[in-house]
Amino acid sequence: MPGILIIEDDNDLREMLKVSLHRRKYKVFEAQNGKDAITHFKPSVTDLVVTDLIMPEEDGLKVIIKLREIKPSIKIIAISGGGKAGPGSYLNLAKALGADVIYSKPFSVNDMIRKIRELLENEQLE
Amino acid sequence: MPDHNDYLNYLSREKVFSDHILNHSRSMISIINRDYIYEKVNTTFCNAHKGVEEAIVGKSLGDVWGHETFNKHIKKNIDKCFSGDTVQYEASFTTPQAGKRYFEVVFRPFPVESGEITHLLAETFDITDLKLSEKIAIEKEEEFRKFETNLPIGFLRCRPDGKILHANKSFMMIMDCSEENSLYHTNLKNYYAEEGIFELHLDQLKDSKPKTFGRVLLKTCGGNEIMCRISGFMSLDEAGNPSYIDFAFEDSSRELMLENRLLQAQKLETIGALAGGIAHDFNNILTTISGYSELLQDDLPKSSPSSQKVARIMMAVSKARSLTNQILTFSRQMEQEKIPVNVYEVLKETIGFVKSAVPSNIKVKSNIRKKDAPVFADPTQLFRVFLNLMTNAIQAMEERKGTIAVSLAVVNGKKVQNELNKNIVADEYVLVTFSDTGKGMDPSLLRRIFEPFFTTREVGKGSGLGLSVVYGIVSEMGGDILVSSEKDKGSVFYIYLPVSREYVNISEIPEKRKKILFITGNKYESRILSLALESVGYELMQSSDYKHFSKVISDAGLKPDLIIYMSDAEQIGFDDLMKIFQNQEIKTPCILITDSNQELLEEKLINSGIIRQHLIKPVSLKEIKNAIQLSIN
Repeated sequence: MPGILIIEDDNDLREMLKVSLHRRKYKVFEAQNGKDAITHFKPSVTDLVVTDLIMPEEDGLKVIIKLREIKPSIKIIAISGGGKAGPGSYLNLAKALGADVIYSKPFSVNDMIRKIRELLENEQLE
Repeated sequence: MPDHNDYLNYLSREKVFSDHILNHSRSMISIINRDYIYEKVNTTFCNAHKGVEEAIVGKSLGDVWGHETFNKHIKKNIDKCFSGDTVQYEASFTTPQAGKRYFEVVFRPFPVESGEITHLLAETFDITDLKLSEKIAIEKEEEFRKFETNLPIGFLRCRPDGKILHANKSFMMIMDCSEENSLYHTNLKNYYAEEGIFELHLDQLKDSKPKTFGRVLLKTCGGNEIMCRISGFMSLDEAGNPSYIDFAFEDSSRELMLENRLLQAQKLETIGALAGGIAHDFNNILTTISGYSELLQDDLPKSSPSSQKVARIMMAVSKARSLTNQILTFSRQMEQEKIPVNVYEVLKETIGFVKSAVPSNIKVKSNIRKKDAPVFADPTQLFRVFLNLMTNAIQAMEERKGTIAVSLAVVNGKKVQNELNKNIVADEYVLVTFSDTGKGMDPSLLRRIFEPFFTTREVGKGSGLGLSVVYGIVSEMGGDILVSSEKDKGSVFYIYLPVSREYVNISEIPEKRKKILFITGNKYESRILSLALESVGYELMQSSDYKHFSKVISDAGLKPDLIIYMSDAEQIGFDDLMKIFQNQEIKTPCILITDSNQELLEEKLINSGIIRQHLIKPVSLKEIKNAIQLSIN
């Protein structure tokens, strides 16, 4: 089963995502912040990353850049609850840096799971 | 006894003396006869005319001064003297030798023994130097007077007890005094709004050094309060006692207004950062709530009572998201999707919408002509700005007759810079003005209107976010808002938006244009939205009636990639939508956009599983675009 890494500093939200993904039989890894995520990243078993953008220690934008460097084929979903970096929004920056899909919080978790399935199916086809 | 020679000697001595006196007088002295001929002139006279006595004696006054000058100015005075009076006057003559000179002229009848006046003694004293210094003095005074009148600073001199001795025009203007009512305030003390301050000032001036007191609250003749910067100086007499005090008054209303604006902007920035942070945290919490609700929904049998309850939780989440979005819009942390927009088009739709719903006691006067007013904005947010301001205007006129006036203009950036006292970001600005004849606001209220959750309405009526959102959207565009308001008279809102004519399209253009079936009333807000969606690259099909909708949806060639249903589609109800979806087994994703007041049918629709995304107004173009991207597979 594909492995998914969730990087999110809000414990409840991370837990909710984990429960939802477990239910669809995905293997789930967790990280509380960007720094932990990079240190414990397992490229061989991780196919997709769901990352928050505004976090203490290493924000999500840097995480996206680093993960892409380590594993270029990784699928990335960026989630954010608002906030802007200069004239552009974090989510737009995330997209520009290579996030496959962006979600602004609150979003529908079923929507996200549909999208995850889609992204991982496409990968299998590739 | 002196002999004849002695007598002659004596006479000769006398003549030498009197000639000496005559010739060394600084006056021009002459004897003139009735034929206006010079019979005797002194040396000063000769020197002034650059001639010798022999050349002047025997000449007429006309010959010497010019006939025109003589006839016009001199003759009447000489004639008057010949009738027996001493004549004295000032005159100026221009002679080729000396240029323009000023003279004091005295004509005295020259009595001869017979009593008949046959001659007169003319004494002309050159007062040019005196005149010039007098003229300089007058000019200097005039200059000072100008300076005193033209400067917008009130100058005032008063006695140590405050009795006003003199006040300049600017003082009268600052203090709103006319000639009539200025008499009422004859003592400076009466202009001070707070008691004891004048005395405090006097006390500080006693050392006879100039003092600046900073800003002091004063009361004008019209009874209004005004803030002035006051400086003063006390003059002492020889004995060292106070003789009078000079004061300067500078109106600091504008300065104060600008300071307040800056303070207000800083305050809103701080609140924005705080509220934005809270909204951000709330969005995390809302995601958790909606996520577990979805999990729960999956566990429960469809349309069971428990499932309906979970659906309500999810609708509450949608509402809360709408609220956090508004807060993020205020704090300018909301994502934006901007496109070139003509303000005229959006304003026209807003006015149309307001007119369709306005109570009959309120008149909407719009004086907007088709105009090129291009800005770079999210048109749905611009609609929100105008709608909020007009709705507020209507609410300010509740239960009475009133008029809302709307105007649109394009103004020069320099003018805007002056008015707002801040750096401009464009050469031109669109100025939209909304004025009402409502209940108005006092300054303490005016200062706070843009603060989120600040509302004068009863608890539960209105979110208190309307004007905050307006502020956020306008600031985000690089624009600004000015408000003026008078209690019981009404308010005016001035919205300045930078004109943007150049536009580079940087948003990605989809390879294959996605087809959207847009079910709306196609009026006002939905019309703005459909135009905006077209301009960001979607292909739109409109449908506003049931027949058309069911035809389009069953036609394989027309089949849309997505359906957006907006609750203003009066011809197609929630139940119609549900019926068509269920009867024709349509799998096309559907986005629902509704007002926050939900109906029972809407709840059923959301529960039916047809709806992929549910957005609650106000929605921005960016939100809809996001929802579209997430819904289309």
